[in-house]
Amino acid sequence: MNRESIDLLQGTLDVLILKTLAWQPMHGYAVTRWVRERTQGSIEIEDAPLYKALHRLERAGCVSAEWGLSENNRRARYYRLTATGRRRLKAEESEWRRYAAAVLRVLEPA
Amino acid sequence: MSVLTDLIIRARALLFRSREETELEDEVRFHIDRDVHERVRRGEVPDKARREALIAFGGVERYKERVRDARGTRPLEELAADIRYALRGLRRNPGFTATGILVLGIGIGATATVYSIVHSVIVADLPYPQSDRLVRVVEQNSATSIWALSTADVTAIRERQRVFEAWGEIQRTEVAYSGSGTPQHIVIGRASAGYFRAIGIPVARGRAIEPADEAQGAPPVMVVTDAFARRTLGGPDAALGRSLSLDGVSHTVVGVLPEGRDELGGIRAVAFPVLQLRAPTRRGPFWLRGVGRLKPDVTLAAAERDLAEISDALLPLWSDFRDSTARLTPQPLRDVVVGSAVKQVGLFAGAVALVLLLAIVNVATLVLVRASAREQELAVRVMLGAKRSRIARLIVTENLILTLSAALLGLGLATWGLDLAVAQLPDMPRIQNASLDWRVIMLGIGAAVLSGLLVSLSPVAALSDEGGLAPHAASRRTGTGQRTSAMRAAFVIAEFALAWPLLVGAGLLLNSFVRLQRVDPGFDPAGLVAVGLSLPAARYAGVADVLRFRELAGQRVAAMPGVESVGLTTQIPPDQSGGNDNFNLVHRPVPDGEAEPNSPWYYVSASYFSTLGIRIIEGRSFTPADTADEFPVIAVSRSWAEHYLPGESAVGRQLVQGGCYNCPRTTIVGVVEDIRNLGPSLPMDAVYGPMSQYGGRSMQVVARLRSMTPNVTARLRDELRALDPELPLDEFVLTEQLQASLADPMRWAAVLSAFAACAMGLAALGVFGLMAYAVRQRRREIGVRLALGAQSGVVTRLVVWRGMRYAAIGSAIGLGVTLLLANRLRTMLFDVSPTDVATFVGVGVLLLGSAFLASWIPGRRAARIRPIEAISSE
Repeated sequence: MNRESIDLLQGTLDVLILKTLAWQPMHGYAVTRWVRERTQGSIEIEDAPLYKALHRLERAGCVSAEWGLSENNRRARYYRLTATGRRRLKAEESEWRRYAAAVLRVLEPA
Repeated sequence: MSVLTDLIIRARALLFRSREETELEDEVRFHIDRDVHERVRRGEVPDKARREALIAFGGVERYKERVRDARGTRPLEELAADIRYALRGLRRNPGFTATGILVLGIGIGATATVYSIVHSVIVADLPYPQSDRLVRVVEQNSATSIWALSTADVTAIRERQRVFEAWGEIQRTEVAYSGSGTPQHIVIGRASAGYFRAIGIPVARGRAIEPADEAQGAPPVMVVTDAFARRTLGGPDAALGRSLSLDGVSHTVVGVLPEGRDELGGIRAVAFPVLQLRAPTRRGPFWLRGVGRLKPDVTLAAAERDLAEISDALLPLWSDFRDSTARLTPQPLRDVVVGSAVKQVGLFAGAVALVLLLAIVNVATLVLVRASAREQELAVRVMLGAKRSRIARLIVTENLILTLSAALLGLGLATWGLDLAVAQLPDMPRIQNASLDWRVIMLGIGAAVLSGLLVSLSPVAALSDEGGLAPHAASRRTGTGQRTSAMRAAFVIAEFALAWPLLVGAGLLLNSFVRLQRVDPGFDPAGLVAVGLSLPAARYAGVADVLRFRELAGQRVAAMPGVESVGLTTQIPPDQSGGNDNFNLVHRPVPDGEAEPNSPWYYVSASYFSTLGIRIIEGRSFTPADTADEFPVIAVSRSWAEHYLPGESAVGRQLVQGGCYNCPRTTIVGVVEDIRNLGPSLPMDAVYGPMSQYGGRSMQVVARLRSMTPNVTARLRDELRALDPELPLDEFVLTEQLQASLADPMRWAAVLSAFAACAMGLAALGVFGLMAYAVRQRRREIGVRLALGAQSGVVTRLVVWRGMRYAAIGSAIGLGVTLLLANRLRTMLFDVSPTDVATFVGVGVLLLGSAFLASWIPGRRAARIRPIEAISSE
């Protein structure tokens, strides 16, 4: 595991996945890679929790999954954001922004 | 969230489980393949790339399991998987498995054996219909002074009692029986018709004894056991109507008891002839066992009141018995039959429970050691994603399998142990019925399950310690290490505490046994042999016949080559079953209404004293002039004289014997040296009357030989058989008799010693294991100390000191517990106090010594650790 990577804060994973899937339907591996690239390697999503979260989100109706063909013609499971997921993302996103702003206000020198 | 999607997914999971499973695998495989692909593109070697990818994925299994959980179909198959895994684990560690099963198996086996005995001897109902309504009636005038009933007593009870629906009497005795082969003694119970009715066991064939059979002059009849009928009478059917001679009196078999029944009301006998009572002429003697069956709604207290009235009514009727405190008292028959066995069996059960506990503690320690050894493996499993609860279940499964196997072994051992115990303890009442019934088997399995859970507790507790099994080296050394070490230290302390009572008990019994063995019997048993016989009344009707036989027997044996001298007695020492009689000193009678003193009473020939080497201290021995026509005389033992006539000369004093105030007074003519008539641990009061004034038909012919030759008893027997070929003869060698009287104390000392040895071994093993483990755990630390210049002696001392500390704490607890328990042994001890300091000190030295040795070995090993290796190995 990358020493410099940031430990994921509790409750962060779901919102990261939802946001990532908001761009386009992806398979799990792509989600990891996408997050890694977007954060320049600072956030490394562990694989097992990722799939656990994906399945949890699927059960909650936030994402739907179907088998499709990957870039190099392999069978892969693609996850797509549903309307419920989109609503959930919106809610969580604003929550996170408010939260982050509040934390930053505390951390910034007065 | 849509409940519907959730439901559909769950349903799909249930219906298409395998499909789900494949999809899951496909998804994971895809992910890993992509990762490998990427890594290879970046220039990694394919093999390494795949390995890295797998590691990066973390818990493939955990992931799958969590997803399965999420699907909500946690299958039962996990149990099967657990069992498979547990079996594999146990097979991988045959040493641990074998030790664990063996230690626990022995513990469970011993427990099952002892509790089968406890159940059969103490707990089980008596084998008679509504046995709780059966009571035995005894004469009693204090808590400890209890004796049998007389003919006068039972006649009064028969006439006056209102509480029993059936009442009867029995007398256990031995008679001469000459069937087909050599004449022999058989045990019979002479019983009244009422006795059969009271006990309530119908005969299988023929009829029971009827009231008409009891009349004087009625033809004697008897009921025999099925076993006796098969052995000697050609089967139960052929037995009916047969005539058998008992003590020369012909008895007709009228009934046969059901198969397998060899006792009635606690009296074990091969035959039950009719009891024909003559009308009483005085209150004594007391020789009958009376048993009544209470009417359905009558309580024991009501019976006690009824019988007390009868006692009061009886007292003025007879002048020979003046003890107004004596009461006819009912006792539940069960208490009578179980009797003194409770104490012995209780001791047994207590000891075995301690051993079982020790075995459990030891196996728990083993499991804990194994758990520590497997820490790394378990840590890896946790890392790979197994949940703690799942691992806990695995440990429990493994231990349950271990202990259930032990239970199987234990129950096997118990069947064998039970046979052994029944063979070794033939005198214990009701032990013959002991068997492994379902209760004992349930107990064994229950003990197994319980110990399985107890044993699992420790590693599971260690596991649930948050982070305890984290895969970091640091926490492995400190967190769990400390936790399990503390638990194991507690186990070791418990082991020492448990070993204490066992070792002290064994020590006290051994001590007391050694003292018993050292007791001087008062005579030299070497070269003494005896032949016991009983002249049948049918052929030796008059006193003259008996006297003539005695005379001839004495002469014939004395004439044998190698015989130094011959004596006759009614009882050879040591024997507690001998005769007793009550007496009242003429010049110092007991106050009116009080019980007369009672003493062992023997009849001996004058030459008996010289044959055994019993010195005459005062007065004279018996002479041929002491005939039945003369006034009765006796000699008393030194203890008797000191007891009843302290500070005065006994010779010349007179007493009333056996409550016979109309008989001539008995005069003390001599005082003789004490011998251990009853056994090494009992008082030496004794009264000897001359054989020549006694018409009894039972006697022992005692001969002192110049040297013991192999078949001397056979020659002695032949000599007597020449006088009367139909006499059953019992031969004794007195040294053997003395040894036999020590058999019981020896047996108990041996049993407890065996348990104690187990306990000490287990405790020593415990402390050894703990210290060896501690040394292994702290290798690095010790290495550093040694590198920094610590003396190897200091390191050894450090380890030994720690081991000794646990032993000392355990011993302190054990000492306290033992002091509380020791008093229960008091009645089994001879000449040793239950808190005998030497024994306690000895046990302390033994236990602490073994602890020292057991921790010194790992201590030495610690001192030999090579610092460089120890430090670099981590």
